[in-house]
Amino acid sequence: MSRALLILLIFTSFAYAQKNSEELVDFSSIKDVLQKDRLDESAKIKQEKAEKQRIASERAKKARFNIPDEVDFWEIMSELWLVKNHQILKWDFQKPDFGLEGAFSDFLEKQGLFEKKFRILLLDSPNVTHFALPTSKNSYLFILSLPFIRTLDLSKLEISLLLMEDMVRADAELFKSHVRPTAQSLLGTNYAGSKLDLKKIELVLKKYDEMILDKGFTFSQQFEVTKHMDKTLKNDQELWGTYYRMIRKIDILVKDNSLYRNLPRIYPSPELQLNWLAPPKRKGP
Amino acid sequence: MEGFLKNVLLLLLFFPTAHAADKVLMVKYLNTAWGHVHQNASRYSTSLTTVSCGHPIKIYEVKSDWHKVGAGPYTGYVASDQLSDKKPTCVQDKYPRFFDDLKLEITQMYYWGKLYDHYIEGKSRLK
Repeated sequence: MSRALLILLIFTSFAYAQKNSEELVDFSSIKDVLQKDRLDESAKIKQEKAEKQRIASERAKKARFNIPDEVDFWEIMSELWLVKNHQILKWDFQKPDFGLEGAFSDFLEKQGLFEKKFRILLLDSPNVTHFALPTSKNSYLFILSLPFIRTLDLSKLEISLLLMEDMVRADAELFKSHVRPTAQSLLGTNYAGSKLDLKKIELVLKKYDEMILDKGFTFSQQFEVTKHMDKTLKNDQELWGTYYRMIRKIDILVKDNSLYRNLPRIYPSPELQLNWLAPPKRKGP
Repeated sequence: MEGFLKNVLLLLLFFPTAHAADKVLMVKYLNTAWGHVHQNASRYSTSLTTVSCGHPIKIYEVKSDWHKVGAGPYTGYVASDQLSDKKPTCVQDKYPRFFDDLKLEITQMYYWGKLYDHYIEGKSRLK
């Protein structure tokens, strides 16, 4: 009988202890005793710690619903656009090693453009000739049409000049400023408690389509870019001459080859660029 | 009897080689959003499987441009610059629900991985 009582006593005390360990103790009923023993301070610390842990855990849970911020957003969207348009752009094809990587990094260093990371994706399509897609700062993502550079028979130096022109546009955030108003409601926001609005993502990608395949740059943007190139390259007359001749080649191409007739709509216009680059005529005596 | 001996001899010849080839030298992690384990050491070679960023990959052989690797049941090749010694900070881990909710199709993940095979990458240095 006493043995059974003892087992019962042990069992109940164990169950009671276990129940208590799972709950936070309500100290208010024994406040005076605790104050006397200075245990209220320790209880306060425990409660604060538990609250901090709860807040941190809630924050981590909410952060899972973050939408990429300025640092990551553009790169993710640009790559998503490339993936979704792989059939139009035809970038998944075998190509020889042109040695573009070394040629372009050497060119940048000669121009004093240091610590610039770049990626070039060659396209087997004339649909898009060349473009710098939005990415993070000091990093560039170029797409470049192989049929375009082959038709024009561009040298590595000319290709580098074409990419440098795209870099100037990227640095001026001309592409980003076209997409930003649509992307603003997504950039760095959080959608905890609701659903990700995929329509907004689609709208951003449509803005990419609009910029790359349809509207391109304005006359004033193109003027600024050309003038910047003019100023930068004028220090090296040979390089300036190569740039001028390359624009002339593009001008002839868009007039003669129907495949590239839309190019002046994206980059207006090689003919005007030549005028902007040409030195002012001397007035007669 | 002769046939049996031939088989044993063949086993003895090939077993140690196969065992040595599959020896795990180290574990590395994929550092691009998605990537491919290729059948041969070429970016144009057939893709055996697509793996996502941070996926641990067993390294069997280290070469300058390509590593011979094991990922799941597949043994193939991954470009050396797509592998890191430490687990990288992946965009999929930074924005887990965003990537889940993008509802990417398998073919899109495949092509996303292909992008990194096709990029010509470089950097201008500080002289």
